[in-house]
Amino acid sequence: MRIKVWGARGSVPAPGPEMNRYGGNTSCVEVALASGEHIILDAGTGIRTLGLDLTTSPHVNILLTHLHLDHIQGLMFFPPCFRADADITIWGPASPEASLEDRVARYISAPLSPVEVRELPCDVSFRDTPPSEWQLGSATIRCEAINHRGPTLGFRITEGDTTLCYIPDHEPALGTVLADNEPEWISGYDLARDADLLIHDCQYADDEYPLHVGWGHSGMTDALTFASRVGARRLLLFHHDPLHADGFLDHLHAAARRRWGELGGDLVAVEMAMEGAELEVGPVVAPAGIATSA
Amino acid sequence: MKAMAAQKPLELILARNLLTSISTPAFLVDQDAALVFYNEAAGALLGRSFEDVGRMSPEQWTSTYGPFDANGKPVELDELPTTRAVRDGRPAHAVFTIRSANGMQQIESSAFPIVASEEGSSGAMIFFWPHDRNGRESA
Repeated sequence: MRIKVWGARGSVPAPGPEMNRYGGNTSCVEVALASGEHIILDAGTGIRTLGLDLTTSPHVNILLTHLHLDHIQGLMFFPPCFRADADITIWGPASPEASLEDRVARYISAPLSPVEVRELPCDVSFRDTPPSEWQLGSATIRCEAINHRGPTLGFRITEGDTTLCYIPDHEPALGTVLADNEPEWISGYDLARDADLLIHDCQYADDEYPLHVGWGHSGMTDALTFASRVGARRLLLFHHDPLHADGFLDHLHAAARRRWGELGGDLVAVEMAMEGAELEVGPVVAPAGIATSA
Repeated sequence: MKAMAAQKPLELILARNLLTSISTPAFLVDQDAALVFYNEAAGALLGRSFEDVGRMSPEQWTSTYGPFDANGKPVELDELPTTRAVRDGRPAHAVFTIRSANGMQQIESSAFPIVASEEGSSGAMIFFWPHDRNGRESA
């Protein structure tokens, strides 16, 4: 399994020269399975440039964690949407209020959009994520509701011996102490348990988090503690705050590695998501963090 | 290796976090009406912390704490606000007596179902107040 980060920013696109290295596009990760199929995680603005690359792959599965704008904004500018030969399946959280298509159409419709979903030339279908595992190509997908503002999913993608977990918006420490809590009471625990790569929310530095409690995102130490508790082998810190320029994120990365080392982990196992970065994901023998999931 | 308990649904996790943060005595039960958590205020009322007792089946926690009706008889499980909230997906309220840290104590109890899907309740939150015989709620 191989992944490519097309957008690592949270909340709102953050263009500008001071953001060039980590990138300004919002959440989008491409997963290339060993079998050749591709899965797209979220449709933030990063999906636009991903779509430019998709010249020979007309069948696309997009998994949406939730429908906040930074996770769907790129859909309307996703080039395959405007190709008649493209077959796009969009998976997302179910709601008793309205279908997934109707909820996405609130964005892809007037007055916010010049086109309507029904006018897209591609063959697009909308599917509620099922409560049990399902298969996409050679991958087994599982999702669970996790703690964010509004109905939000995390995804666990397993292909062979390799497991990727994607939880870009997550505040598992809200109202609790992650280091002490029993696993069964930690949001997202089962989903992320023993993942070879965990892509996880790290929107805030630790000194910023107290001003944002309840906003649905994690501070750096909470992200590391979560990764450690679930026994993640590698951690990719994701969903960077739009105010965090490259220099700030460099410092945050250094601090995260120091903290991870204090937790007993392998320093190189903690990385910052960077637009354009590609990572090979495979099984790793030992967890990098202090705690195993036992 | 100790077997791990199954991951709780998110709505129960959030409910527990809420109950941890308030000073009203409260229980949290799962879809089987098993007691899966109570907060420090409830622990003070009962004289034992949840960490001391752990998860309890409905039979276990009712035999430990009650409740009892006005005649001192145990309230049937089916009649408990907790059971009614989980089973019927409706709030329920009752006045009864429990074994507290200070002996037998009359309390009021309100149970609220936690419903996150069409499949029914995933549990309930139960709040307790000391009962005022004049019908007023005690502080």
